[in-house]
Amino acid sequence: MGSRVDRVARLIGLIGVVGFLVTAFTPLAHRLNLATAVPAELVPSDAIVVLGAWVSPSGTLSSESLRRTNHGIALYRRGLAPTLVLLGGSASGGPSEADARAEQARLHGVPAQAILTETRVRTTREEAARVKELLQSKGARTILLVTNAGHLARARPLFERAGFHVYPAPSDSFVEASSPESRLELMRVLVREFFGWLFYRVAGYI
Amino acid sequence: MEATFMAALTGLTSIGGYYVGVKLLHLPTVGLGAAIGKMLESVGMVLIFLAVNLVLALMIVLLARGVTGAFVSAYVTDDSVWLGLSAIQGLAFQWWRGIAATSTAGE
Repeated sequence: MGSRVDRVARLIGLIGVVGFLVTAFTPLAHRLNLATAVPAELVPSDAIVVLGAWVSPSGTLSSESLRRTNHGIALYRRGLAPTLVLLGGSASGGPSEADARAEQARLHGVPAQAILTETRVRTTREEAARVKELLQSKGARTILLVTNAGHLARARPLFERAGFHVYPAPSDSFVEASSPESRLELMRVLVREFFGWLFYRVAGYI
Repeated sequence: MEATFMAALTGLTSIGGYYVGVKLLHLPTVGLGAAIGKMLESVGMVLIFLAVNLVLALMIVLLARGVTGAFVSAYVTDDSVWLGLSAIQGLAFQWWRGIAATSTAGE
Protein backbone atom coordinates (compact mmCIF):
# COMPACT_ATOMS: atom_id res chain seq x y z
CA MET A 1 0.00 0.00 0.00
CA GLY A 2 2.74 2.42 1.11
CA SER A 3 4.95 1.82 -1.91
CA ARG A 4 1.99 2.22 -4.28
CA VAL A 5 1.13 5.57 -2.71
CA ASP A 6 4.81 6.54 -3.04
CA ARG A 7 4.89 5.55 -6.72
CA VAL A 8 1.74 7.52 -7.51
CA ALA A 9 2.97 10.54 -5.51
CA ARG A 10 6.37 10.33 -7.26
CA LEU A 11 4.75 10.27 -10.70
CA ILE A 12 2.48 13.22 -9.87
CA GLY A 13 5.46 15.04 -8.37
CA LEU A 14 7.52 14.43 -11.52
CA ILE A 15 4.70 15.76 -13.70
CA GLY A 16 4.37 18.78 -11.37
CA VAL A 17 8.09 19.62 -11.33
CA VAL A 18 8.51 19.16 -15.09
CA GLY A 19 5.33 21.17 -15.73
CA PHE A 20 6.56 23.96 -13.46
CA LEU A 21 9.99 24.15 -15.12
CA VAL A 22 8.64 23.96 -18.67
CA THR A 23 6.02 26.64 -17.95
CA ALA A 24 8.45 29.00 -16.19
CA PHE A 25 11.39 28.67 -18.57
CA THR A 26 9.86 28.11 -22.03
CA PRO A 27 7.28 30.03 -24.14
CA LEU A 28 4.73 27.19 -23.69
CA ALA A 29 2.07 29.37 -22.01
CA HIS A 30 2.41 32.06 -24.71
CA ARG A 31 2.13 29.47 -27.49
CA LEU A 32 -0.92 27.91 -25.83
CA ASN A 33 -2.51 31.35 -25.50
CA LEU A 34 -1.94 32.05 -29.20
CA ALA A 35 -3.19 28.61 -30.23
CA THR A 36 -6.42 28.83 -28.22
CA ALA A 37 -7.11 32.54 -28.77
CA VAL A 38 -10.16 33.64 -30.72
CA PRO A 39 -8.89 36.01 -33.47
CA ALA A 40 -10.04 39.63 -33.27
CA GLU A 41 -12.75 40.83 -35.69
CA LEU A 42 -12.74 44.59 -35.26
CA VAL A 43 -15.67 45.72 -37.43
CA PRO A 44 -18.26 48.49 -36.89
CA SER A 45 -20.96 47.30 -34.48
CA ASP A 46 -23.92 48.57 -32.48
CA ALA A 47 -22.08 48.48 -29.13
CA ILE A 48 -18.78 47.68 -27.43
CA VAL A 49 -19.28 45.41 -24.40
CA VAL A 50 -16.44 45.30 -21.86
CA LEU A 51 -16.75 42.36 -19.46
CA GLY A 52 -15.92 42.69 -15.77
CA ALA A 53 -12.70 41.48 -14.17
CA TRP A 54 -11.94 42.65 -10.62
CA VAL A 55 -11.93 45.82 -8.55
CA SER A 56 -10.50 46.30 -5.05
CA PRO A 57 -12.77 47.36 -2.14
CA SER A 58 -11.24 50.86 -2.47
CA GLY A 59 -12.32 51.05 -6.13
CA THR A 60 -8.92 50.46 -7.76
CA LEU A 61 -9.25 48.53 -11.01
CA SER A 62 -7.15 45.37 -11.39
CA SER A 63 -4.61 45.33 -14.22
CA GLU A 64 -6.85 42.96 -16.21
CA SER A 65 -9.86 45.23 -15.68
CA LEU A 66 -7.84 48.26 -16.74
CA ARG A 67 -6.52 46.48 -19.84
CA ARG A 68 -10.05 45.58 -20.94
CA THR A 69 -11.32 49.09 -20.19
CA ASN A 70 -8.52 50.74 -22.17
CA HIS A 71 -9.17 48.42 -25.10
CA GLY A 72 -12.88 49.25 -25.03
CA ILE A 73 -12.12 52.99 -24.93
CA ALA A 74 -9.66 52.62 -27.83
CA LEU A 75 -12.29 50.81 -29.92
CA TYR A 76 -14.83 53.55 -29.15
CA ARG A 77 -12.36 56.27 -30.10
CA ARG A 78 -11.76 54.47 -33.41
CA GLY A 79 -15.46 54.96 -34.09
CA LEU A 80 -16.32 51.26 -34.16
CA ALA A 81 -19.55 51.66 -32.14
CA PRO A 82 -21.70 54.50 -30.72
CA THR A 83 -22.18 52.85 -27.30
CA LEU A 84 -19.70 51.63 -24.70
CA VAL A 85 -21.11 49.14 -22.17
CA LEU A 86 -18.99 48.80 -19.03
CA LEU A 87 -19.70 45.98 -16.60
CA GLY A 88 -18.57 45.02 -13.11
CA GLY A 89 -19.85 44.85 -9.55
CA SER A 90 -18.16 45.89 -6.33
CA ALA A 91 -16.00 44.11 -3.77
CA SER A 92 -17.14 44.23 -0.14
CA GLY A 93 -19.51 47.11 -0.73
CA GLY A 94 -16.88 49.45 -2.19
CA PRO A 95 -17.18 51.44 -5.43
CA SER A 96 -18.25 49.33 -8.39
CA GLU A 97 -15.92 48.29 -11.18
CA ALA A 98 -18.35 49.61 -13.81
CA ASP A 99 -18.45 53.07 -12.20
CA ALA A 100 -14.63 53.22 -11.88
CA ARG A 101 -14.38 52.23 -15.55
CA ALA A 102 -16.95 54.83 -16.60
CA GLU A 103 -14.87 57.51 -14.88
CA GLN A 104 -11.80 56.34 -16.83
CA ALA A 105 -13.77 56.43 -20.07
CA ARG A 106 -15.01 59.99 -19.42
CA LEU A 107 -11.45 61.10 -18.60
CA HIS A 108 -10.39 59.70 -21.99
CA GLY A 109 -13.02 61.72 -23.81
CA VAL A 110 -15.89 59.27 -24.13
CA PRO A 111 -19.12 61.31 -23.72
CA ALA A 112 -21.26 60.33 -20.72
CA GLN A 113 -24.32 59.69 -22.92
CA ALA A 114 -22.38 57.03 -24.87
CA ILE A 115 -21.60 55.04 -21.71
CA LEU A 116 -23.86 52.38 -20.20
CA THR A 117 -22.93 50.69 -16.92
CA GLU A 118 -24.19 47.61 -15.10
CA THR A 119 -23.05 47.00 -11.54
CA ARG A 120 -25.24 44.09 -10.43
CA VAL A 121 -23.43 41.35 -12.39
CA ARG A 122 -21.25 38.65 -10.78
CA THR A 123 -20.74 36.00 -13.45
CA THR A 124 -20.27 35.96 -17.23
CA ARG A 125 -23.68 34.34 -17.52
CA GLU A 126 -25.30 37.20 -15.61
CA GLU A 127 -23.40 39.70 -17.76
CA ALA A 128 -24.89 38.21 -20.95
CA ALA A 129 -28.41 38.33 -19.50
CA ARG A 130 -28.10 41.95 -18.26
CA VAL A 131 -26.49 43.23 -21.47
CA LYS A 132 -29.38 41.69 -23.39
CA GLU A 133 -31.82 43.69 -21.23
CA LEU A 134 -29.73 46.86 -21.56
CA LEU A 135 -29.28 46.75 -25.33
CA GLN A 136 -32.55 45.20 -26.44
CA SER A 137 -34.42 48.50 -26.08
CA LYS A 138 -31.75 50.21 -28.20
CA GLY A 139 -32.16 47.65 -30.97
CA ALA A 140 -28.49 46.63 -30.78
CA ARG A 141 -27.78 43.34 -32.52
CA THR A 142 -24.05 43.38 -33.15
CA ILE A 143 -21.45 43.79 -30.42
CA LEU A 144 -17.70 43.95 -30.07
CA LEU A 145 -16.99 41.75 -27.04
CA VAL A 146 -13.96 42.83 -25.02
CA THR A 147 -12.30 40.43 -22.58
CA ASN A 148 -9.12 38.36 -22.43
CA ALA A 149 -8.65 35.75 -25.17
CA GLY A 150 -9.04 32.75 -22.86
CA HIS A 151 -12.33 34.08 -21.50
CA LEU A 152 -13.75 34.72 -24.99
CA ALA A 153 -14.11 30.99 -25.65
CA ARG A 154 -16.74 30.87 -22.87
CA ALA A 155 -18.15 34.39 -23.15
CA ARG A 156 -18.78 34.47 -26.92
CA PRO A 157 -21.29 31.55 -27.06
CA LEU A 158 -23.13 33.00 -24.04
CA PHE A 159 -23.67 36.34 -25.80
CA GLU A 160 -24.59 34.56 -29.04
CA ARG A 161 -27.22 32.63 -27.09
CA ALA A 162 -28.48 35.97 -25.78
CA GLY A 163 -29.22 36.91 -29.39
CA PHE A 164 -26.19 39.02 -30.35
CA HIS A 165 -23.93 38.73 -33.35
CA VAL A 166 -20.59 38.77 -31.56
CA TYR A 167 -17.33 40.14 -32.92
CA PRO A 168 -14.45 39.15 -30.63
CA ALA A 169 -12.13 41.92 -29.45
CA PRO A 170 -9.53 40.25 -27.21
CA SER A 171 -7.78 42.66 -24.86
CA ASP A 172 -4.55 40.63 -24.64
CA SER A 173 -1.38 42.22 -25.93
CA PHE A 174 -0.16 38.78 -27.17
CA VAL A 175 3.39 39.93 -26.46
CA GLU A 176 5.44 37.05 -25.11
CA ALA A 177 5.94 37.26 -21.35
CA SER A 178 9.63 37.49 -20.50
CA SER A 179 9.68 36.70 -16.79
CA PRO A 180 9.07 33.20 -15.40
CA GLU A 181 6.48 34.62 -12.98
CA SER A 182 4.39 36.19 -15.76
CA ARG A 183 4.56 32.92 -17.74
CA LEU A 184 3.27 31.01 -14.71
CA GLU A 185 0.53 33.63 -14.24
CA LEU A 186 -0.52 33.27 -17.89
CA MET A 187 -0.66 29.48 -17.54
CA ARG A 188 -2.77 29.90 -14.41
CA VAL A 189 -5.23 32.09 -16.35
CA LEU A 190 -5.37 29.55 -19.20
CA VAL A 191 -6.01 26.64 -16.80
CA ARG A 192 -8.66 28.66 -14.93
CA GLU A 193 -10.43 29.59 -18.16
CA PHE A 194 -10.28 25.99 -19.38
CA PHE A 195 -12.04 24.78 -16.24
CA GLY A 196 -14.51 27.68 -16.47
CA TRP A 197 -15.32 26.71 -20.07
CA LEU A 198 -15.61 23.03 -19.06
CA PHE A 199 -17.99 23.89 -16.22
CA TYR A 200 -20.21 26.00 -18.51
CA ARG A 201 -20.26 23.16 -21.06
CA VAL A 202 -21.16 20.52 -18.47
CA ALA A 203 -23.82 22.79 -16.94
CA GLY A 204 -25.31 23.36 -20.41
CA TYR A 205 -24.82 27.15 -20.35
CA ILE A 206 -22.95 27.09 -23.69
CA MET B 1 17.37 37.33 -19.67
CA GLU B 2 15.64 37.13 -16.28
CA ALA B 3 14.86 33.43 -16.80
CA THR B 4 18.44 32.67 -17.87
CA PHE B 5 19.81 34.49 -14.82
CA MET B 6 17.50 32.57 -12.47
CA ALA B 7 18.27 29.20 -14.08
CA ALA B 8 22.02 29.89 -14.04
CA LEU B 9 22.03 31.04 -10.42
CA THR B 10 20.00 28.08 -9.13
CA GLY B 11 22.23 25.79 -11.19
CA LEU B 12 25.27 27.26 -9.45
CA THR B 13 23.78 26.99 -5.95
CA SER B 14 22.79 23.37 -6.74
CA ILE B 15 26.42 22.62 -7.59
CA GLY B 16 27.40 24.43 -4.38
CA GLY B 17 24.93 22.31 -2.39
CA TYR B 18 26.33 19.14 -3.96
CA TYR B 19 29.88 20.22 -3.07
CA VAL B 20 28.94 21.01 0.56
CA GLY B 21 27.14 17.65 0.83
CA VAL B 22 30.01 15.59 -0.52
CA LYS B 23 33.08 17.44 0.80
CA LEU B 24 31.91 18.92 4.11
CA LEU B 25 29.06 16.69 5.24
CA HIS B 26 30.51 13.52 3.65
CA LEU B 27 27.14 12.45 2.27
CA PRO B 28 27.19 9.39 -0.03
CA THR B 29 26.63 10.43 -3.66
CA VAL B 30 24.53 7.31 -4.29
CA GLY B 31 21.87 8.75 -1.93
CA LEU B 32 21.21 11.75 -4.18
CA GLY B 33 18.97 9.82 -6.58
CA ALA B 34 16.88 8.49 -3.70
CA ALA B 35 16.68 12.00 -2.23
CA ILE B 36 15.35 13.38 -5.53
CA GLY B 37 12.80 10.56 -5.54
CA LYS B 38 11.69 11.55 -2.02
CA MET B 39 11.47 15.20 -3.10
CA LEU B 40 9.21 14.17 -6.02
CA GLU B 41 7.02 12.15 -3.64
CA SER B 42 6.64 15.18 -1.38
CA VAL B 43 5.78 17.46 -4.32
CA GLY B 44 3.30 14.84 -5.52
CA MET B 45 1.66 14.68 -2.09
CA VAL B 46 1.37 18.49 -2.04
CA LEU B 47 -0.31 18.39 -5.47
CA ILE B 48 -2.69 15.63 -4.31
CA PHE B 49 -3.72 17.77 -1.31
CA LEU B 50 -4.08 20.77 -3.65
CA ALA B 51 -6.38 18.86 -6.01
CA VAL B 52 -8.51 17.54 -3.13
CA ASN B 53 -8.76 21.01 -1.57
CA LEU B 54 -9.77 22.67 -4.84
CA VAL B 55 -12.33 20.02 -5.81
CA LEU B 56 -13.88 20.14 -2.32
CA ALA B 57 -13.91 23.96 -2.33
CA LEU B 58 -15.69 24.00 -5.70
CA MET B 59 -18.23 21.41 -4.52
CA ILE B 60 -18.95 23.45 -1.37
CA VAL B 61 -19.39 26.61 -3.48
CA LEU B 62 -21.85 24.86 -5.79
CA LEU B 63 -23.66 23.25 -2.86
CA ALA B 64 -23.93 26.61 -1.07
CA ARG B 65 -25.35 28.20 -4.23
CA GLY B 66 -27.85 25.36 -4.66
CA VAL B 67 -28.99 25.16 -1.03
CA THR B 68 -29.03 28.80 0.05
CA GLY B 69 -29.62 30.44 -3.33
CA ALA B 70 -27.00 33.02 -2.33
CA PHE B 71 -24.17 33.82 -4.70
CA VAL B 72 -20.78 32.42 -3.74
CA SER B 73 -17.94 33.11 -6.18
CA ALA B 74 -16.13 30.11 -7.65
CA TYR B 75 -13.07 32.37 -7.89
CA VAL B 76 -12.39 31.47 -4.24
CA THR B 77 -10.48 28.54 -5.77
CA ASP B 78 -8.28 30.94 -7.77
CA ASP B 79 -5.88 31.91 -4.99
CA SER B 80 -2.19 31.10 -4.48
CA VAL B 81 -2.81 30.55 -0.77
CA TRP B 82 -4.29 27.14 -1.60
CA LEU B 83 -0.84 26.06 -2.80
CA GLY B 84 0.82 27.27 0.42
CA LEU B 85 -1.74 25.54 2.63
CA SER B 86 -1.51 22.35 0.56
CA ALA B 87 2.30 22.45 0.88
CA ILE B 88 1.98 22.53 4.66
CA GLN B 89 -0.48 19.63 4.58
CA GLY B 90 1.43 17.53 2.05
CA LEU B 91 4.84 17.96 3.69
CA ALA B 92 3.50 17.24 7.18
CA PHE B 93 1.74 14.13 5.86
CA GLN B 94 4.88 12.88 4.12
CA TRP B 95 7.03 13.47 7.23
CA TRP B 96 4.44 11.71 9.37
CA ARG B 97 4.56 8.68 7.05
CA GLY B 98 8.37 8.76 7.04
CA ILE B 99 8.64 8.91 10.85
CA ALA B 100 6.05 6.12 11.23
CA ALA B 101 8.00 3.92 8.78
CA THR B 102 11.27 4.54 10.69
CA SER B 103 9.60 3.75 14.05
CA THR B 104 8.08 0.54 12.69
CA ALA B 105 11.45 -0.54 11.24
CA GLY B 106 13.15 0.09 14.59
CA GLU B 107 10.72 -2.11 16.60
